Amino acid sequence: MNESPPNVMPPKIVCRDVWKIFGRSPRRIFKALATESTPPAPPEGHIVAVRGVSFEVRPGETFVVMGLSGSGKSTLVRCISRITEPTHGEILVDGQDVLRMRPLELRELRRNRISMVFQHFGLFPHRRVIDNVAYGLEVRGVPRPKRRERAAQVLELVGLQGWEYHFPRQLSGGMQQRVGLARALAVDPDILLFDEPFSALDPLIRREMQEELQRLQATLHKTSIFITHDFTEALKLGDKVAVMRHGQIVQVGTPQELVLNPINDYVGAFVRDAPRGRVLTAQAVMTKCNPVPPPADRPTISAHTYLDDLLPLMAAYGDPVAVTDGNGFTIGHVDRAGVLKALIRE
Amino acid sequence: MTTRSQPLPFEQPSFQLFLQALMWVGVALGIGVLAVAWPAVPRAFPEAWNLGLRAPIDEFQRWVIANRATHPVFVFGFTPLSRGIDQALRLSEQMLLRPSWYVLLLIFGLFGYLAGGVRLSLFCAGSLLLAGLFGLWVPTMQTLALMLATLVLAILIGVPLGMAAAASNRLDRVLRPVLDAMQTIPAFVYLVPVLLFFGVARVPAVIATLIYALPPIIRLTNLGIRQSNQAAVEAAQAFGATRWQILRGVQLPLALPSILMGVNQTIMMALSMVVIAAMIGAGGLGREVLVALQRLNVGRALEAGLVIVCIAMLLDRLSAALTRIDFAAPVTTQRKDFLAHWPASALAARLPHDLAYYFQTYGRFINALLLCVVVVLVDVLVWGLGSFPSDWRWSLREPANFAVTWARDNLYFITGPLSDGIIYYLLNPSRDLLLNHLPWPAIILAIAAIAYASGGLRLALGTAAGLVMIGLLGMWAPAMETLSQVILMVLMTVLIAVPIGVVASQSPRFSAALRPILDILQTIPAFVYLVPVIMLFNIGRVPGLIAAVLYALPPGIRLTQLGIEMVPKVTVEAAESFGSSRLQTMIKVQIPQALPSIMLAINQIIIMVLAMVIIAGLVGGAGLGIEAVRGLARNETGRGIEAGLSIMILAIILDRITQAWARSKT
Repeated sequence: MNESPPNVMPPKIVCRDVWKIFGRSPRRIFKALATESTPPAPPEGHIVAVRGVSFEVRPGETFVVMGLSGSGKSTLVRCISRITEPTHGEILVDGQDVLRMRPLELRELRRNRISMVFQHFGLFPHRRVIDNVAYGLEVRGVPRPKRRERAAQVLELVGLQGWEYHFPRQLSGGMQQRVGLARALAVDPDILLFDEPFSALDPLIRREMQEELQRLQATLHKTSIFITHDFTEALKLGDKVAVMRHGQIVQVGTPQELVLNPINDYVGAFVRDAPRGRVLTAQAVMTKCNPVPPPADRPTISAHTYLDDLLPLMAAYGDPVAVTDGNGFTIGHVDRAGVLKALIRE
Repeated sequence: MTTRSQPLPFEQPSFQLFLQALMWVGVALGIGVLAVAWPAVPRAFPEAWNLGLRAPIDEFQRWVIANRATHPVFVFGFTPLSRGIDQALRLSEQMLLRPSWYVLLLIFGLFGYLAGGVRLSLFCAGSLLLAGLFGLWVPTMQTLALMLATLVLAILIGVPLGMAAAASNRLDRVLRPVLDAMQTIPAFVYLVPVLLFFGVARVPAVIATLIYALPPIIRLTNLGIRQSNQAAVEAAQAFGATRWQILRGVQLPLALPSILMGVNQTIMMALSMVVIAAMIGAGGLGREVLVALQRLNVGRALEAGLVIVCIAMLLDRLSAALTRIDFAAPVTTQRKDFLAHWPASALAARLPHDLAYYFQTYGRFINALLLCVVVVLVDVLVWGLGSFPSDWRWSLREPANFAVTWARDNLYFITGPLSDGIIYYLLNPSRDLLLNHLPWPAIILAIAAIAYASGGLRLALGTAAGLVMIGLLGMWAPAMETLSQVILMVLMTVLIAVPIGVVASQSPRFSAALRPILDILQTIPAFVYLVPVIMLFNIGRVPGLIAAVLYALPPGIRLTQLGIEMVPKVTVEAAESFGSSRLQTMIKVQIPQALPSIMLAINQIIIMVLAMVIIAGLVGGAGLGIEAVRGLARNETGRGIEAGLSIMILAIILDRITQAWARSKT
């Protein structure tokens, strides 16, 4: 996903200055906070969960919001389909302001265009797997045989055929989240919201699910917002990653930008543990040159090759290796020293 | 150390402590002065202050009787309502009395088998057989019909109300104190008004039972919906489900176990009303017990009581099994028996994939229903043997009555002194203290002081006002009589229950041995406790009091045990790691942490003892109970309502004080 070309289509989702304050009188607190330049601590009993967040998500892009617990990331994603009502701001989906929608329009939005995958799966324990998956279609009013047919299709897509008539709690955690994923996909939405979907899973299962998601995304290209507290996961899945802290976005960028140029120590602390070899590409570490046809006698590599994949090649052939762009022209060279330097944490 | 946010512990409360001490000294002095200086006679509440409600209420009763046929409130309100209820009752009675006796035996056996296997099945069938052998077949069916009708009404009213309360916080806030009151107030209180408005024979019994039995199903429906899995609700919301779709498709099914638990509790509450309901015209087993007790035919009362206990256990186990149904259980874990094979599984094999699953999961139930239908049809069309054969008899009356006579003659050397001792050394002194030694203002002052200590000024003022109200109603003397008995019995119950609960929490073996006994004690309706006690102690004040202690023991023991067992393991381990002995751990760690639960136990004990002391009015107890009974028996509505109001006030005061006390310990 990371190697997708720069996206120039109009943004699918736009958030502008979104606020969410929990407490008895959020409006009043918002006014007090928004007008002052150095915001005072909110009074007792109020929590500012989201504080003036703005970002854009392009069609087909996976936008990851990464933050520790209490940073407001789950609240933010709930604001987008108004499961949680934002205190202030503008949220545009396809140019339409979600916050201005009347209840009926909002319901249509939720039924047809946005669906969500939850941290603790949010499955209906009293319904069989197939009826869980068909739920979105059921509330839309799709007749039973039709919605079951569709649900069975989606279940096959996520690799759960044969489990249709089991109950959720007879399934393992990973399988339950596959059901959650299938349920979100069954309504064929434009937008998928993921609220820490894999946090409750064991590390091995989590990796399996991440790869499953990558596989699905490669064919489906759904616009997604993905919430996680795991920086590695964010780098792995995100086309763009936003780091959140205290309800604000600290930095937005591609994984590579984040790793190369952390904006402050907070982001830097996460970057320190990042698997640089799986994030940085040859393009980021090469010494540029004018495009020339590639050398015939030496191996070449694509500009989007990850450093980890580059290492065996470099070990075998030595310096320097030519880097080619999409047209096959050499646009630069990488050498061992440059790669090693990029891999070492600063 | 320039700023100190928290004052040192000894600095702050010393002044408050001094004030408190001053207040207590003041109260003690006040009571003392009042006790000494008050003119020797009369110590009771002045008769002249009586509000004189009795005459207008009796007047109102005459008006109701005169206008029942014509006034629109009755013609369009109460009369059609009671006619409808009467119809429902008749219908369910016919449903139970029409089929032959062995058909019912079979059906109940089958349900027992579905719910809990062969043993429960035999128990269910055996209970009905016992009822038949005792010659109580028809009363038993009447009681079951009353339960059925009440239950259907309770579900029809309770579930929607619970749903509404779950949807609206405001309704919940309004409903909560009402339900609290419905559960605290002894059932005697509303017998008289119910009788006044629904004057037809069996309907007031249904209404009174309903009032008593309704709260749990409302509460548990409300609770079940409110506590339903939030993640699932949120998910439904995210998929654009409407509020109704969420309620019907997600919340209600998830709340079903809780609602079924409410059904179970409602049945048990309704059953505990059978005898009391019989006082206002319900037939059935309750009437058998009541009549037998009034005629002092202990054997007959014992038989009917035994059948009531059996029915109670049967209904409890059957309805509790409902809450345990596991829809997600894999088909393979189901019991393989004659019910597993039959039509349903044959059908399942032929049906398309998705339907087949349902037939496999619910197959045993479907088969059981089919079997029932077949048996009923065969019975109606072929056999039609009708009611329980009257010459099949087995009676406990003779041996029971013989045992009573024997006990009276031969155990008197124990029961006589015991009963006399209770009367002379416990009952009379405590009654004298409240009625003859302390003047009424001193009592009000003392109780208000206790209320203040546990719940603050508002509770104290409310308590004082309530007590004055009892005086104004002219019920001071009986109320004090009742209060003295309640205090005495609560003390005795606590003294027995708390140690047993503590021991049970320490010894798993003792606890395991205790559990079935407590289970049975808790399913027995209040009134039935009186039967064996009367066998030993004859009528009077003593049997009521002993029955009250027995009645209130199980929840007391249970809550104490639960409280101690709920103490976090970590704290106990920590104490043990510091080398504290078992007793030290108990006293210093476990009991202090279990205190809120123990307080709750005491609250329960008080409510139950009060209910029982009131009921004991029927068998020669004293105090408010006997006033209420007289009001009922002699059709003196004014007196009944005065007594009922006083019981209500007393119950609420006692409940609030102990609850505030329990809360203050948390």
